[in-house]
Amino acid sequence: MNALSDKLKNWGHWIVFLILEVASLVLLFRFNAYQGSVWTTQANDVVGRVLEGRQRLIAYSQLGEANRQLTEMNLQLQSELDVVRHRLAELEHDSSATERAVASQLAGIHRIPAQVVSNSIRDRENYITINRGLADGVENEMGVVCGTGVVGIVYQAGQHYSLVLPVLNSRSSISCRLHDTEYFGYMKWNGGSPLLAFIDDIPRHAKIKVGEMVETSGFSSVFPAGIFVGKVRRILNSDDGLSYKLEIGLSTDFARLRNVSVIEGNPQFPAEPQNDEEEEE
Amino acid sequence: MILVLFKRLFQVLVLAALQVMVLNQIHLFGYATPMPYVLFLVWLPLNSNRVGNMLWAFLLGLIIDVFSNTPGEASASMTLAALVQWPLLHASAPKDCVEDMVPTYTSMGRWNHTRYVIILTFVHHALFFLLESFSFFHLRDLLISFAASLALSVVLMLTFETLRHGK
Repeated sequence: MNALSDKLKNWGHWIVFLILEVASLVLLFRFNAYQGSVWTTQANDVVGRVLEGRQRLIAYSQLGEANRQLTEMNLQLQSELDVVRHRLAELEHDSSATERAVASQLAGIHRIPAQVVSNSIRDRENYITINRGLADGVENEMGVVCGTGVVGIVYQAGQHYSLVLPVLNSRSSISCRLHDTEYFGYMKWNGGSPLLAFIDDIPRHAKIKVGEMVETSGFSSVFPAGIFVGKVRRILNSDDGLSYKLEIGLSTDFARLRNVSVIEGNPQFPAEPQNDEEEEE
Repeated sequence: MILVLFKRLFQVLVLAALQVMVLNQIHLFGYATPMPYVLFLVWLPLNSNRVGNMLWAFLLGLIIDVFSNTPGEASASMTLAALVQWPLLHASAPKDCVEDMVPTYTSMGRWNHTRYVIILTFVHHALFFLLESFSFFHLRDLLISFAASLALSVVLMLTFETLRHGK
């Protein structure tokens, strides 16, 4: 008995050390390799609430600026409204079939409005936390968009908060196409500026113009086709020199992200033959 | 005993809050993020319990991990640093010091204390960035981040300790 307690005295800290390290590594690898448990990330309820409080505090301190922007927007909208009223009076009698089709397609897509409670843009791997979770209908692998375009994909949905893998994460890979020429590829981000991303493997014979619009391809069930992503800024050679690599100026300013919506998976998406292209590795 | 428990808990919460709410937002030159929560280990007295220290360090690391989406990285690094802390402190404490000495630059001597802080922070940062390389590998960036963060953390910690124990 004495020998045992002596041994424990000498080796106890090693045993505790090993247990704790193994626990840490399990957490690390589960998070990296697989959609691990939610409670060790920002999608955890308690963590979400704390971060939300902090975000509110920051938002409160920026109310002055928000007010100014609202006033500006109000003025602009009012002047636009005038113009629209005039046009409406002219066009009232005829609402064409295409217009109705577009409206019905948009109406078919259910979106869950959410707010960003935590956001990073300068880490090597950025994540966004939003204040909607399983209880609100958010599920893993759903697309997230905002007013200016694509934001990312839900990575881990918690009960009331979810972790989003934004474009600004090296693990993000979003299937995109060029608006005019319809060449497609996967948009990746590899650190650096939060305003730029890249599309690889555009064939050499493609005639691409700088400034061309980039949108989602609709090849997966995550995003419907045609959601704005950004514009081509530069056309570079790929690393192996066999194809083009496009530098994309992202349309979404991730540094000011506040209101987003989660796109609920919907069978009414334009069904393309290729599927599951957009899963994370 | 219970007083010590509360004191440790308080230190853990304050350091974690500071890291999560403020310091995680800092990326000096895009590379350096200070992580002065290693101070928790520096504040442990000479006669503290080795296993208990490791558990506290793990807890502090875990809280920070959960809030910064780095599961396992800070907790693993803090546990390793806590393992090193005990023999390191015993080796660098002056021979004639009291049994429950709290390491400060007055109790240990300026150079001894600085070296103690640097080694602990080095161990923590080395494992932290090594683990980070599993999710992000870019050797040059990692090394710059490691060196810059280490320097920034050490400077912050030593400044704080100097202010705290200054006259």
